Amino acid sequence: MRSAANTGSVNARLDPKKKRSYQEFLYILPFILLVGIFSYFPLYGWIYAFHDYQPPKPITAETFVGLKWFYYIVSNPVRTADVLRVLRNTFAISGISLFFSWFPMIFAVFLNEIKCRPYQKFVQTVTTLPNFISWVLVFSIAFNVFGSNGAVNSVMMDAGLIDKPISFLKSKDHLWFKMWLWLTWKNAGWAAIMYLAAITGIDEQMIEAARVDGATRMQIIRHIIIPSILPTYFVIVMLNIASFLNNGMEQYYVFQNDFNRKYIEVLDLYVYNYARSSIKNYPLSTAISMLKSIVSVALLAATNAVSKLIRGESFI
Amino acid sequence: MKRLLSVLLVCAMVLSMGLIGAVAEEAPLVIDIYDEAANYNGTQSGWFAKVVKDRFNIELNIIAPQVVGNEVEATRLADGNLGDIIVCDKAKMPGYVSSGVVRDISDKLPECENIMQFQKQIETYNKGLDVEEGQIYGIPTEMMDTSPTTLTDDMIYSSPQLRWDYYTEIGRPELNNLDDLLDALKQIQDAHPTNDDGDHAYAFTLWPDWDGNDNMIGIANVVQLTTWYGEKLKQSAILKPDNTFTKVYDRDAAYYKITKFLNKAYQMGLVDPESGEQPWDDVANKLSTGRAYLMWYSWQQGFWNSVDRLNNGTAFTVIPVKDMYFYADADRYYGSDRMFGVGANVEGEKYDRIMEFLDWYASPEGATFQHDGIEGLNYTVGEDGKFIPYKDNALMDNLPVPEEYGGGGYSDGNNAINQWIVSANCVNPVTGERYAQKFWQSYKDMTMTDMKKEWQETFDAEDPVDYMKKNNQLLASPSVDFTAKEYDNDLSALRVDVNNQLCQYTWNLIFCETDDDFEALWDEMIEQLNGFGYEELYAFDCENYQVEVDAKIAAAE
Repeated sequence: MRSAANTGSVNARLDPKKKRSYQEFLYILPFILLVGIFSYFPLYGWIYAFHDYQPPKPITAETFVGLKWFYYIVSNPVRTADVLRVLRNTFAISGISLFFSWFPMIFAVFLNEIKCRPYQKFVQTVTTLPNFISWVLVFSIAFNVFGSNGAVNSVMMDAGLIDKPISFLKSKDHLWFKMWLWLTWKNAGWAAIMYLAAITGIDEQMIEAARVDGATRMQIIRHIIIPSILPTYFVIVMLNIASFLNNGMEQYYVFQNDFNRKYIEVLDLYVYNYARSSIKNYPLSTAISMLKSIVSVALLAATNAVSKLIRGESFI
Repeated sequence: MKRLLSVLLVCAMVLSMGLIGAVAEEAPLVIDIYDEAANYNGTQSGWFAKVVKDRFNIELNIIAPQVVGNEVEATRLADGNLGDIIVCDKAKMPGYVSSGVVRDISDKLPECENIMQFQKQIETYNKGLDVEEGQIYGIPTEMMDTSPTTLTDDMIYSSPQLRWDYYTEIGRPELNNLDDLLDALKQIQDAHPTNDDGDHAYAFTLWPDWDGNDNMIGIANVVQLTTWYGEKLKQSAILKPDNTFTKVYDRDAAYYKITKFLNKAYQMGLVDPESGEQPWDDVANKLSTGRAYLMWYSWQQGFWNSVDRLNNGTAFTVIPVKDMYFYADADRYYGSDRMFGVGANVEGEKYDRIMEFLDWYASPEGATFQHDGIEGLNYTVGEDGKFIPYKDNALMDNLPVPEEYGGGGYSDGNNAINQWIVSANCVNPVTGERYAQKFWQSYKDMTMTDMKKEWQETFDAEDPVDYMKKNNQLLASPSVDFTAKEYDNDLSALRVDVNNQLCQYTWNLIFCETDDDFEALWDEMIEQLNGFGYEELYAFDCENYQVEVDAKIAAAE
C-alpha cells in the first residue's frame, strides 16, 4: 500500500513534465498532420511510376514493371538528349534568376533613397501591382504589346523603321533573359517589400553618425544599408535555391509556342505537357517528376555542403 | 400547459415529416451524366431542363471533363461511379466495358422503338466489343438513316473558300492548282491589305490550338488541308487514295505538299505573322471581322456569312481548284466518334426511367428539340406541316424563350448534353424533311440569292458537292464501324514525342525564308522523328488502321 503510494508520488512528480511534453506534442501535431497529408501522402502517387498504369484499369501485381519507365528515359539517345535539354532550360532559367537575385534588393535601396514621398509611394505601388496579375493576363498584355500585330510592331511599321514585323514572342533569341525580365517586371516590386522592411529596421543613429562623419549618400548605402540587409538577402537566396527546380510553369506555359518550345520547356512544363496531351502517359510523367525530386535532393545536399564550407555550419 | 405544448410539438413534428415525405415523392430523379461532349458543367437549367422535367420528372446533372478537367474521370472511376449515363470517346468504350464501368442494356433496348430504328448500327458496334453474343453496351451517336456510302451534305468538311465579291473582282480566274490559288489570294490581299476598319488582313491566318488532336499527328491546319488531295492522316500514317499508307514525312505525300504550300504563301507575304502564336479565339475574331481571305473548314463560314452578306454577294463560298481530289467522309451511317452508355450501378426503377429518357432522346420529338429548337421561336410550321425558319439568331443572341418553356434565354437553356443519338441529317418522319435547317425547302427558297445563282452559272453545278461529283473530284470514304486499338503506354509516350517534334518542325518550316532552308529543315525533321522511333509508331498505326481500310473497301463494293 505504502509502496504503491510511493510509486504514485513518483508518477505525480514526473507527471507535469510528461504532461508538458504531451502538450507540446499537441502544439506541433497540426503541423505534422499538415506535412504528412500534403507532403508525404502524395509520395504514394510515386507508385504509378513503377506500374504500366492505364486508366480505367486499376494497378495490380500484373501491371508492375519495376524501373522500366526510368530506363525508358535513357533508352534512346534522342530522348535522353531531350530530357537533358529540358534540364538545361530549367537550370539556365533558374540560374539566371538566382544570379540576378540581388536586383530587388538594390531596387529597394534606391527606392528608399527617393526623398519625394508621394513619388516613392507611386513607384512602389506601380511596381508591386503586377504581382497580383495572373500570368495569363501578363501574356495577353505581352501579346498585345509585343505580338506581330501588336502595338510596338504597329508603331515601328507606321514610322517606317521596319518593313516586316519583328516576332518578339516567337523568337528564341535571348529567351531565358527575356523570361527573367518578365518575371522581374512582375515580381521585383513585391520582392522589394521585404528589403524595405529590413531597411526600416536599420538604426537611424548609425546613418546619422555616418552623415556627421561626412559620409556621402553612396557611402552610406555601401557601408551601412547594404551590410545591414545582407542577412535578409541570404535567407531569400537560400529559399530560392531550395526551389531551384520549382520555377513553376504558369509563366512558361503561357509564353510557350512551337517556335520557342525547345528553349522554354522547363521540367514542370515538360511533365505537364506529357501528362496533358490527348494521349496520356501517367507512369512516364510520374517518373520524370520523380527525377525532379532526385535532382532537388542532390542540389540541397550540395548547397548544404557549400554552406558548411563557407559558414562552418549546415542548415539541415 | 407543458403537456399541451409537448403534444403540439409532436403534432407539428409528425405533420412536417409527412410534408417532407410528400415533397420527397415528387422530387425529381437526378441523373449524373458523365459527358465528354459537354461544354457546361452542373445541373441543366432553362427550357431544356423544363422539357425533360415535364416529361420524365428527371433532372440532368452534367459532369463535363472539358470544363472541370480530365482528372474528374480518374476521380470518379476510383469512386466506382463514372455516371448514370456516360457519353464518352468511342476509343474508351472497350476499356469501360472490360472494367465494368458500363452495363449491358440488351434486356431493355428492344422496348426502345426509337433507338431500335438504328438496330443494325448498334448491333454492328457491339459485336466488335469483346462481349457475349447479344449483349449491348454502347449506343453510337449521330447515326444516319441513309447508307454507308451516301453523301447527303451539299458541302464537304474541308475545301478552299474565298469571298465571292473579291473573287469576282479579280475576274473569277480558273484555278488549276495551288499556285493559281496563291496568285489569286495575292491579288486579293494586294487589293485589300486591310479590312474595312483598317486592320491588317492576310490570306492565311493559322492557329496551333488543335495540333495533334482528332487522332492525327501534326499541325491541324496542315493536316486538314491534306484532304484536298485525297489523303487522310491516320495518326502517324497517311492513307492515300489508292488505300495504301505512307509516312507523314514522305516528300510525295500531301503533308509535305501542303506545308510547302503554306511556306510559299509565307514567302509571298500571305501568312499572318501572328500565326502560330495566336490562340484560336483571336482567329475566330479575325474571321468575323474580315481579316482572313481564305477559309477551309465548312463551318468557318459561320463566322462571316450572314443573310445580308449572302444577299449582297460578300459572303465566302467554295471555289473549285481543278487539280484537287477531295477526301470526304460519307454519311456517318455508323455514327460519330462518341458513344452513349449506361452506368454499371444503375438498377431497378432508375434504369427503366433512364432507358425511357434515352428512347425519347432519339424520338422525333427529342431530335426536333435538339436540332431545330422550339416551335414559335426557331421555326414555325407551315400549312403543309413542314418547318419554316423563324428567328435564326435565337442561339447567337440568346433570345428569350416562350413562357410555356419557362422563360430564360434560349442559349442558356440549350441542351447541355451536346451530343445526340440521331444525326441532324436524318429525315424527320413528322415533316418528311431532314432535321437540319439547310435541307428544308423553305430555307432553300429563302436563301436563293444572286450570289448562289452566279455561282451555279459559273461552275455549272447545283452546289459544291455536285460540282465535285460531276468533275470526278470527290472521294467519299464509306462509313464503317471501326474502333482503333488504344496505344499502350510505350506507344503513347512515343506518340507524344513524335507529335511534338512534328508540330515544332512544321511551324518552323512554314516560316522558312528560303526553299533551301525548307529542304534542309525537312531533312533534319526526318532524322529527329526517326531518332525518337517514328518507325515503330508508324508500323503500329498501319496495322491498326488496315482493319478500317479493309472494311471501307468492302463497304464500297
